[in-house]
Amino acid sequence: MAVFLQSLISGVLIGGVYALIGIGLTLIFGVMRVINFAHGDIMMVGMYLTYLLFTLMGVDPFVSVLISFPLMFFFGGFLQKVFINRVLNAVAQNQILLTIGLGLVMSNTVMLIFTSDYKILTTSYSSSTIQVGGGVSISTPLLVSFLITAVITAALGWFLLKTDTGQAIRATAQDRDAAQLMGINVSRMSVIAFGLGAALAGTAGALISPTYYIFPQVGGTFTLKAFVITVLGGMGSVVGATLGGILIGITESMSAVYISSGWKDVVVFVLFLLVLLFKPSGLMGKSRT
Amino acid sequence: MRKHLLALGAALALSPCLMAQKIGVINSMSGPEAPIGEHITNGIKLAEEDLKKKGINLQLVWEDDTGKPQISMSAMEKLATRDNVVGVVGPYTSACSNAVAKLAEKYRVPLLIPAAAKEEITRQGLKYVFRMNAPADKYASSLIDAAAALGKPKSIAFIYENTDFGTSTTKTAKEYVTKKGMQVVADEPYPKGAADYRSTLAKVKSKNPDLVFMVSYVADAILLMRQSKEVGLQPQAFLGAGAGFTTPEFAKERAISENVISCTQWTGDVNWPGAKEFEARFKAKFGKEPTYHAACAYASMMIMAETARNAGGDRIKTQQGLKAGKWNGVMGEVQFADYDGFTNQNNHQMLVQQIISGNYETVLPAKFATKKPIFPFPKWK
Repeated sequence: MAVFLQSLISGVLIGGVYALIGIGLTLIFGVMRVINFAHGDIMMVGMYLTYLLFTLMGVDPFVSVLISFPLMFFFGGFLQKVFINRVLNAVAQNQILLTIGLGLVMSNTVMLIFTSDYKILTTSYSSSTIQVGGGVSISTPLLVSFLITAVITAALGWFLLKTDTGQAIRATAQDRDAAQLMGINVSRMSVIAFGLGAALAGTAGALISPTYYIFPQVGGTFTLKAFVITVLGGMGSVVGATLGGILIGITESMSAVYISSGWKDVVVFVLFLLVLLFKPSGLMGKSRT
Repeated sequence: MRKHLLALGAALALSPCLMAQKIGVINSMSGPEAPIGEHITNGIKLAEEDLKKKGINLQLVWEDDTGKPQISMSAMEKLATRDNVVGVVGPYTSACSNAVAKLAEKYRVPLLIPAAAKEEITRQGLKYVFRMNAPADKYASSLIDAAAALGKPKSIAFIYENTDFGTSTTKTAKEYVTKKGMQVVADEPYPKGAADYRSTLAKVKSKNPDLVFMVSYVADAILLMRQSKEVGLQPQAFLGAGAGFTTPEFAKERAISENVISCTQWTGDVNWPGAKEFEARFKAKFGKEPTYHAACAYASMMIMAETARNAGGDRIKTQQGLKAGKWNGVMGEVQFADYDGFTNQNNHQMLVQQIISGNYETVLPAKFATKKPIFPFPKWK
């Protein structure tokens, strides 16, 4: 029972971080219909930003979110304005090539600057835990990052539902042409959406860095994960991405316990295929024609 | 075309007397294995210096395999056919070495592997493939012997990455513990680079093993130990087989690395000729403590270059020279012998070390030991 609870809790907690990555990707896709294959690399940039702030200025990784969120927002906005915007109407494979290329430029630039050495952030609480009783323990940094994720997700939900800009973003996602006819500045919405997506990815990077390790090629794994989460939850659905992230987190940790750690990726992808088979639009997705 | 071939032939025949010894190096200089690759590079650079002092000029052809077997193989093809090297030192990882070994045999290029653990590499009867370090079975047996000598462990859990290095080390370890009468209570391969091992570790904890045996590269080693502390995994000893558990980066993480027992091919305080000087010079030049990979690479390059020089730059004679030779240096006594199904394998003496106050201390075998081992593993704070 302790093992079950332990793996359920750590699955949910790590799933929260996955969700944050997935939400960013789904937001970008929803507004622009572009699958951002540089998403994991943007997250990696966020990790290095956290690393720099921590080693040079001693800013705690969790506090550094306050700095890296706006910085990554502008970075994302810049990427959209200079690169992505030019291929919005291009064929899908050109968009994919562009984002993959951007990702490669990012990871190789970082490799030139920092070398390919693994960086490990060691904070005073990196391996501290909270005992909940029954032999179950919760990693403190993971719990904190989950709470921050929850706050950010809630704030994002409020922003998208209640504010004018949020509604404009959703309108753009629903129908770009109609939104434009209604007087919405869709190109600005695209910049904001990409900026938000990048900021969320960067934040996820910051949140995971006290418990994970950082190296220039770390992005690939997370791009794939974000992609699976987004498709699983329904392309463009924020709620779907949140659910998808947590679902993947739990599936990974449960299959590691009850099947084998070596098979957990297989289980995740089988689940992914099953969802696609029975609900091709994803868990929360609406099919579009 | 004929003329060209003749000219090429003439150049080849003349090259050993006119030019420096041309030796290829395949190493993981970038990619995830780069932190250890750097030690191999630096070890070879020191060897280059020392060889110069001995009057042997080297022309090294460096190839980066980024840790991927397919790139390693194309590097070997290039070195063998285009660069026409006398011999090759490298690659680093087991997967790359195993892939390259067959090519070395095909092109008849002497290959000296400095630090890859997979046993099969020198078990295929390949005449041109030599290995400096002790293979994976020695990792396992020396660690388990050490634990058995210290306490009376009855059960053991295995956690290892599902790569060539991880599975082959664990496979031999499992056979060895069964012979010793221990019970394997958990067997957990994991895919490299996962963010969360807590569930796996919680499962291992529920089996309450006396020993936990792990095989990982650098970053995963730190992550595994951190999360072991988190879930409160408390065996009599943590045994780390090579690679990630023997790096300075790991020792620096004192909160989680203290008292972890590992085995290694080499330590800086061992009394093999030149070992202490090698460590001091390496530290002075590169500002880092050398890992065993550095010493293995250094010794490999020294042996390869000297043998190539004595053979006059001829590949077949170099192969014969490596086979017949006997050396004594920073790696202790080196001889490439055929035994227990191995071909051209140096029967190297493994050392068992423990992290005590943030430093690797040799604790076993007794004749090389500097400190007494700490056993059982103290309670997590």
